[in-house]
Amino acid sequence: MSDVRRLVLRRGRNAVITVVGIMTLNFFLINFMGDPTELFAPRDPKIPDEYVQENCIRYGLCGPDGKPLNVPDRFWIYLQNTFTGNWGKSYYWKGADVLNVVMPALAWTVILIGVSTVITILIGMVVGAVSAQRRGRAFDVVMTGFSLFFYGMPFFWLALMMQLTFRQPAFGLNWWPVLPTSQEYDVSIVGFSWARMDHALSALQHLILPAATLAIGTVAGISLVMRNSLIDVMTEDYVVTARAKGLAERVILRRHVLPNGLPPMVTLIALDMAFIFGGAYQVEYVFSYEGIGYVTILAITQYDFPVIQFVIVLGGLAVVLANFLADLVLLKIDPRIKVT
Amino acid sequence: MAMDSYAVGYWLRRRLGITEVRREKFLLVARRFQDVFVAVVRHRMGGIGVGILAFFVTLAIIAPLLPLPHWDQGGFGRIQQPSWEHPFGTDQLERDILSRVVWGTRISLLVGFVSAAIAGVLGTLIGLASGYWGGWRDETLMRVNDILLSLPWLVLLIVVATILKELSLEVIVLSIGLTSWSFTARVVRAQVLSIKERVFVERAKAAGASSASIIRRHIFPNVFPLVFANTILTVAVAILSESALAYLGKVNKNNLSWGVILQEADASSAVLNGYWVWIVMPGLALVFVILGFSLLGYALDEILNPKLRER
Repeated sequence: MSDVRRLVLRRGRNAVITVVGIMTLNFFLINFMGDPTELFAPRDPKIPDEYVQENCIRYGLCGPDGKPLNVPDRFWIYLQNTFTGNWGKSYYWKGADVLNVVMPALAWTVILIGVSTVITILIGMVVGAVSAQRRGRAFDVVMTGFSLFFYGMPFFWLALMMQLTFRQPAFGLNWWPVLPTSQEYDVSIVGFSWARMDHALSALQHLILPAATLAIGTVAGISLVMRNSLIDVMTEDYVVTARAKGLAERVILRRHVLPNGLPPMVTLIALDMAFIFGGAYQVEYVFSYEGIGYVTILAITQYDFPVIQFVIVLGGLAVVLANFLADLVLLKIDPRIKVT
Repeated sequence: MAMDSYAVGYWLRRRLGITEVRREKFLLVARRFQDVFVAVVRHRMGGIGVGILAFFVTLAIIAPLLPLPHWDQGGFGRIQQPSWEHPFGTDQLERDILSRVVWGTRISLLVGFVSAAIAGVLGTLIGLASGYWGGWRDETLMRVNDILLSLPWLVLLIVVATILKELSLEVIVLSIGLTSWSFTARVVRAQVLSIKERVFVERAKAAGASSASIIRRHIFPNVFPLVFANTILTVAVAILSESALAYLGKVNKNNLSWGVILQEADASSAVLNGYWVWIVMPGLALVFVILGFSLLGYALDEILNPKLRER
């Protein structure tokens, strides 16, 4: 077996261990906090016992014989079900498949995160690269200051500020743009479809503020890391040599600095995924944008355990997957990675 | 009756076990700290960061002495716009918002410092163990670390908060502290891996030093600066987490933090009604404190990390 393949296998094994760990921790944390079987206890004497028992079986809390299962047994069944693609039924949405509850919301979140991440990476890398090249000069100092300022800004507050800035009546200035500050598309639209021009346009308009908020909140991290990563490379001997032999700064940047400074960015962007997800939850909450974050908050207030569990595992899975992919990409593009 | 100050000093030193060697050592460490501090203040960004933090820490300490009404005192009129008496206006329970923002500094900073301290100690211990012993211990600890890094903690904390109805200060501090050690542990581990291959560690081993003493004498002092810079950044993260939880209405409102003020503004539809001072001010306080910690952490990193030093 080649070394590379062994490394990939090990990383893959670690990813699987991590996912199982996430599921375990998640299951027990949630089950320690409240016993879901209690939710189906007959609080109302008018509800017949058979109905309660039927529900208990349907939601996988009781065995086929109608007796309540204990937590370890439920956990074992939960693990089996998760790997066979049976992700449970929502308590709140009258037993609808969790997947059907979460997927439409997930689509909106993917659009939101996708758009803002692309913008973020493009702007962040350019700003970081220019900053690194002009280290210590006015541009660098101002941009780094700005980045640090936005880096620590709570997403929810930034979202509130956006709403304040672009709301009606907009400071009484008639040229000031007023942008939609809630939901994914106009409230008047029934039966949304991307195929219809006016629907799509409305969705794009509603996307501007949430995506901008998420982008502003995350761009600083990328540009700072890019700057430091490049500066790291710029102090290497081969760059000094390149400069000594009289290469133009532009050529040094393109030929020597970027090829060595970019690979670490891949890992860092992957690590940033968890941060971006956290931001998306807050942004969705403030803008009432019905993505994953919104569905999660609703599920939490309704004690809808299967949905909460699924969403948390999904978030963890996305981060693990992003890191695994980043490792693979790095192996491909960075020959310096030691295969051990 | 004049006491012989020399005798008192001698007695005190004996009592506290201050020997000449220990004193020298302490002075060395203190001088190193002083050097770093001077470097941080001279560093443009570090100086600004220290200034910002000094301002807020002072504010937190002298809050009771300021000529402001108590944060929980009502009776100033319901949701008033800013005026000379109440520069930030008043809230839905007729309280002075300026006073609430000033007092909110206390809980926000407290949560930040205590949770970061917990995370720093945990991260250092785990990083040291993981890097020094390696093998299956390292493997296990790093898997746990991976799990912690990939779980959406904010969501889990919201679930906990919803089931407990609201979070008390201890629960917030503990849960943030117990979940944010991963980065510190990683950084420490990486540093330990490189230090333990150095000659001075080999020499100590050859001289028969125990693992405990090698870690304490040779490895920890070399890791500490990194832990310090990292913990400063963890403080900022902890304050952010607390503010998000508070904003979502998941904490006990008697533990007044800036997040709590923002939550109340939101509940009074401050955006819709244009009570912008109510939203802007606590948020700005939050942003500047975090900026202070970021600047300080950033400056420390540049000073302590040899690779980032200017040539």
